Amino acid sequence: MRAKSTNAADSGTLAIGASLSLTGKLAREGVLTQEGYQLCQEKVNAKGGIDIGGTKVKLDIQYQDDTSKPDVAAQLVDQFNDKGIKLILSSYGSANTEAQAAVIERNGQLMVDSAGADNKIFSKGYKRTFAVLSPATEYAASIVKAIAELATPKPKSVVFLSADDGFSKTVTEGGMKKAKELGFTVLDPQYFPNGTSNVSSALTKVKSQHPDVIIGSVHLVEGVAIIKQAKELGVKPAGFGESVAPPTPDFAKTLGAQAENVLGSSQWTDATKGTDKYFGSAKDYAKDIQAKYNHAPDYHNAEASAACLALVLAAEKAGSSKADAVRDALSGLDTESFFGKIKFDSTGQNLYKPMSVIQIQSGKALTVWPTESAEAKMIWPGTK
Amino acid sequence: MSGFLQATVYGLLQGGLLALVAVGFGLDPFLGMFVSAAVLFVFGYVLQRFLINLVINGPIFITLLLTFGLDLMIVQGMNLVFSADYRSIKTSYASESLAFGGVRVPLGRLLAFALAVAITILLVAVVNRTRTGMSILATGMDRGAARLMGIRARHVYALTFGIAAGLAGMAGAMIGTVGTFNPSAAASFTLMSFVVAVLGGLGNMYGALVGGLVIGLVQAWGGQYLPGTWVNALAFLVLIVVLIFRPTGLVGRAFYASRQEV
Repeated sequence: MRAKSTNAADSGTLAIGASLSLTGKLAREGVLTQEGYQLCQEKVNAKGGIDIGGTKVKLDIQYQDDTSKPDVAAQLVDQFNDKGIKLILSSYGSANTEAQAAVIERNGQLMVDSAGADNKIFSKGYKRTFAVLSPATEYAASIVKAIAELATPKPKSVVFLSADDGFSKTVTEGGMKKAKELGFTVLDPQYFPNGTSNVSSALTKVKSQHPDVIIGSVHLVEGVAIIKQAKELGVKPAGFGESVAPPTPDFAKTLGAQAENVLGSSQWTDATKGTDKYFGSAKDYAKDIQAKYNHAPDYHNAEASAACLALVLAAEKAGSSKADAVRDALSGLDTESFFGKIKFDSTGQNLYKPMSVIQIQSGKALTVWPTESAEAKMIWPGTK
Repeated sequence: MSGFLQATVYGLLQGGLLALVAVGFGLDPFLGMFVSAAVLFVFGYVLQRFLINLVINGPIFITLLLTFGLDLMIVQGMNLVFSADYRSIKTSYASESLAFGGVRVPLGRLLAFALAVAITILLVAVVNRTRTGMSILATGMDRGAARLMGIRARHVYALTFGIAAGLAGMAGAMIGTVGTFNPSAAASFTLMSFVVAVLGGLGNMYGALVGGLVIGLVQAWGGQYLPGTWVNALAFLVLIVVLIFRPTGLVGRAFYASRQEV
């Protein structure tokens, strides 16, 4: 048992609670999130800690494993509250975060959300949950925007293949709305169970409609399945786009040559503009992750570090570690960072940060949109 | 039987990983699967002989508890050793497909299907025509009587578990070739293997094959004619309906239901 460590600044440490999906089906993303939080703690403590009203205190993030289950994630937030820990960094994913947000509100705690992007979390009038990442509606919409702007010949029809969890459905709705606005013919979306590795029914259904673009609102497993099974079934649009899956290094590793030219949306790439005092620029951040964890940075790392950064900057601005004071400081926060701009709207979403669109080219995820931070030109059509 | 299913599950996963290792040595996954089958056979045999056999005479819940505990440990162990990264075995041919008019048959899945049928037929032949196979059947029907006939039940149990683990190893290699996997995929394989075994019927080795084919067809048809998210609900609905009208499963045998637990 650690010596009495509460939020009080006089103890020399600032305790922050983080329930994480370290085991179970989200273990992969959960570990990346933990790496992001841990790097933040090291960066902050390397500078002597957080300056709270003139006293430097060290950051002390306490981790618990929620086994990828929303009910456990919510219970752990309660447990942190019982220990007097009011400042929380979120678990991975929308389902966990949504469950946590309700408890946070009830207990008067404060949470910065690193990976719960479903807009529903922010439609309930909560005042104590702030998300650094772009909302779910942007994931597929940004791919649609990139294709409309950069693809020649401009494709006419688009179909969405979507997992059936809340987050993916919101991604699909946002993407379909944007596609209609931009004048695409939008075919009926096809849904399949979240986490399935068999999407053949959905592909068989859209095959006869010959869509120009197939966009998957998916996680890694379904995303890989779409590309693999499209090849097996001979479904060949001009290009594929997928939320979430392509930017993760496993995507290109798993699919090899089949991953080439697939478009994806990313919360962050190392071409992101902006700097902050703890992490420096996005390029610096990429180097630090590579050096410490021996892999290329993943956007899950970056959004976790950014959530931690927002909490740290708000506590400094507030000059206090009390949840209410930090909450007020967060709602007024307006800063540049390695993650881009961080500024929250009244619902707690970081609506000011654009998403990037990447394309797998020669096995690497390169930013192709927005064009001002592009590392490569979009290759279109993406399938040969 | 519960032990058999558990073995199936982590064998599938371990098999995938072992097949990956074999691929690392330059073996094709459809050859590497024999390596993973052999390794897992030994693993399964030892596990049953020296651990699960200790509780096999207790209530069934103790066996379930032990095997689920092992499942947790093995899955987490693999998480630590291999990480939770998603993996897949890349081959030059598995994603190719043969076109028959408008219908395409993916080569990797066709190979996996052919192997599944061949292995089932082989297994049935071994069990029905060899002394070892007969002793497995006898022990399954009535352990007490089998012992009186001089069958070493401990060895037979271990052998059965070993075979199950070995088969799962082969299946894992095939799954790795056509799909993706990571250690936490265990849960969904556990569930589906239970459903398939019970639907097909226990006590008949063709049962699992029939059950698997029915579930596969139901899911494919369900996905085609209903909104895609109904497929799991539909699969379980079929299971319930079958169990109402044929409690022993589609091709299950009554003797399994009336067998003696001594």
